[in-house]
Amino acid sequence: MWRLNKVRHKAARQGDSELRLKRREREKALRQARRDRQLVSKRLLLNEDEDQPEVTMDTNSGEQDVVSLFHKLQHTGPEREAHLKALSKALRDPSAQLTFIKQENSMHLLVGLLTGSNATCRLQAVRCLHELSHSAHTNVAPACLPATPYLLTYLSGQSTKFTELCLYTLGNLCPDSDVVKEKLLAQGIIPALASCIENQRHNLAVVEAVGFTLSQLLQSKDAADKIIPMILASSLPSHLLSVLTPDPKFGLAPAIECAWCLHYLTCSIEDNTVLLSRGALLKCSSLLVSLGGAVAEGNKEEGMELLICPLLRCVGNLLSSCPVETLNSQVGDVGIVVALCALLQAYLQTQPALARESAWVLNNLTAYSSALCSALLTLNLIPGLIQLLPFSQGINTMILRVLANIAHKKKEFCVQLAHLGLLSALCATLKMADQEMVTLSMDVLFMLVVSGPQVAEEFVRQGGVSLLEAIQYNSEGEIRRRATHLLEHHLLSYSSYCSDTPCS
Amino acid sequence: MLQPLPTEGRVSAGSCDEDRPTGNTQEPRQSEDEEGTPFIFTPQLIRLHKDHELFEDGDVHRHMYLQDLYISEADDKTTLCVSEFACHISGCSAVFSTLEEYEHHYNSLHRHVCCSCRRSLPSARLLDIHIQEWHDSLFTILAQRQDMYQCLVEGCGQKFRTSKHRKDHLIRIHKYPPDFRFDKTKKDRRTRETKRPQQKDTAMEVVDDVCESEGVCEVMCDVLSDQPEHGESMETHVSEEEAARMAKSTSAEEHADLSAAAHGAGNISTEPLQPRYSYRVPTTVCFGHGSVRGFRGRRGRRK
Repeated sequence: MWRLNKVRHKAARQGDSELRLKRREREKALRQARRDRQLVSKRLLLNEDEDQPEVTMDTNSGEQDVVSLFHKLQHTGPEREAHLKALSKALRDPSAQLTFIKQENSMHLLVGLLTGSNATCRLQAVRCLHELSHSAHTNVAPACLPATPYLLTYLSGQSTKFTELCLYTLGNLCPDSDVVKEKLLAQGIIPALASCIENQRHNLAVVEAVGFTLSQLLQSKDAADKIIPMILASSLPSHLLSVLTPDPKFGLAPAIECAWCLHYLTCSIEDNTVLLSRGALLKCSSLLVSLGGAVAEGNKEEGMELLICPLLRCVGNLLSSCPVETLNSQVGDVGIVVALCALLQAYLQTQPALARESAWVLNNLTAYSSALCSALLTLNLIPGLIQLLPFSQGINTMILRVLANIAHKKKEFCVQLAHLGLLSALCATLKMADQEMVTLSMDVLFMLVVSGPQVAEEFVRQGGVSLLEAIQYNSEGEIRRRATHLLEHHLLSYSSYCSDTPCS
Repeated sequence: MLQPLPTEGRVSAGSCDEDRPTGNTQEPRQSEDEEGTPFIFTPQLIRLHKDHELFEDGDVHRHMYLQDLYISEADDKTTLCVSEFACHISGCSAVFSTLEEYEHHYNSLHRHVCCSCRRSLPSARLLDIHIQEWHDSLFTILAQRQDMYQCLVEGCGQKFRTSKHRKDHLIRIHKYPPDFRFDKTKKDRRTRETKRPQQKDTAMEVVDDVCESEGVCEVMCDVLSDQPEHGESMETHVSEEEAARMAKSTSAEEHADLSAAAHGAGNISTEPLQPRYSYRVPTTVCFGHGSVRGFRGRRGRRK
């Protein structure tokens, strides 16, 4: 179902502006939906002959078609297959979908065809159900409930296309209502998904579909209560982890879906020991290392950030459950910090949010690990980080935290940081409008200045005393106190002004 | 966005409550009474819940992909934002997009300020002359008997009995305009005062030990402008080149050597300064005692 290429070609054909407008509007809607905690998407699996979802504009005739087709389908005969196919096309239209479910016994008929002895009819029937599942209307999903036990049963079948359609249909139905979700859980969707991914693990299209369906379940608001414990108790986590390494031929899609599932698992609950024991942190971080390496060499594959993003989040949140003593064995070698710095630089301009998330992970790595802090210094990654301090929207505050983590470890680190230009960078960050940056800069400055007399001297040489004196007039008391403290306790002996003050 | 908490090790950010710490923790540094320093940074593990705002962009991107609306990087132009700079002086709400602008603003408006009357003079020399002529009673006495009013042009050296004489000299000999901004007499000041309403005390908390001598500090500033203030947003969109320049300028040491500026900047502009940013000085902030240049010297004397 990896559709990136198709979308791009379509854009090239249609002309960019129309697609861009649609994209912008949809993006705005998605942002708002997320803020309302209502972020939900459905996937539409297109037919082989289709390149893009075509919706018929003529709704009236669509509705008429649906009704007449429904009547025709009630008679057995060789035309049934053709009628079903036509029905599935007609059901692409939203109002036709509503019309169909309002027909008495329509779902009963569809389920009968779904479970009948004609394989082609089964396929077309599930296609119809799939179209229905894609509906945005809240009435439609509950109407499909009679079909779900069969869809689940078919997950253990062998027909790829059929299984895919069952999976995407189930995945679309999951988020629509709690009633539907409860039923699916009771009917055993989780064990069914587990055995499906196990039996079909070589069939990557099916694996991708399982991942999608699982991610839909995991995004529900109360997933942490029931769904996640059930999933953690099953074999799903191990399978998800094993799929993470992308298959070069098939592409990134299955890995993407599984990575997002793992992200929803790690960020929804606080205790991640189950996943840690399955080696999730090690797996995710080694994958990041190889992806970071590829990116650093300029091999930015299309859509790679869709995989990198959830991996970053998994590592970031798993670290907060990971006991410090086991950090080294869980994370692997220092390659991870190299990879993160590469990702930071590579995505800074094009995906600043990804850069910010990389910086977050770097913070979690350096918070308690002296070895990783040391690695950043010895591998000469610090100048690159310092250069990121001008960039806002959370990037510079996070980077400064990373640098603060390093300074906090040892005085030698402070001296090295000062040497590498952090002092002059602080002289600039102390002047920023962002109060958080200023406060954090003062805390870092304090650590540097107390690390040794040469650092304090250098700061004075760079005009630091006048800078701090100006800061003493800042409107924030916290900031003023810090400036005063530094001047009175640590820099007084260095300032030269005492000598040329005319006392009056 | 993320509040660094002065508590032990781990922090959960987002819609769930703070995590209770496990594993290694750092000693929390509380207020300065307990530990003696106001610096509270400790390394912290930050846990982000599913709905955290930091995840918004990535989530939206993911769902755009699910809905077949993915666009590759090459086509989609996102804007990377650079932090703005803001003047520290309480009450001055000027913001700048580059460090150079900040330095220029600060050096122009905040460095040679007379504590008594809040006038900002463009150089240490003019500040000295101003203080002498306006706030020094000894000067007033001496001026009755000798030529005390110095010519404003550095190097000229001539002195005059009255400010009018000096003004005539400036106009005739040095071709100054008759309304040179930095040669106002005290009489002018008073008439202007009545027109301009005094600003009220700002509500901001001020360090007690800042201004020791003055009674009522009137607000005065020769360089008040009518420019609208910059917006509250702390970010500004910049092109890649500007951002690169900014990155370079922050690493190189560029801002003027503040200790030398006092002597070097003896230039007297022949036209009034054109400030680009609005500027307000609250009544409760003082920039230092009478004869001090800018901020320096105040601390030494206080001790």
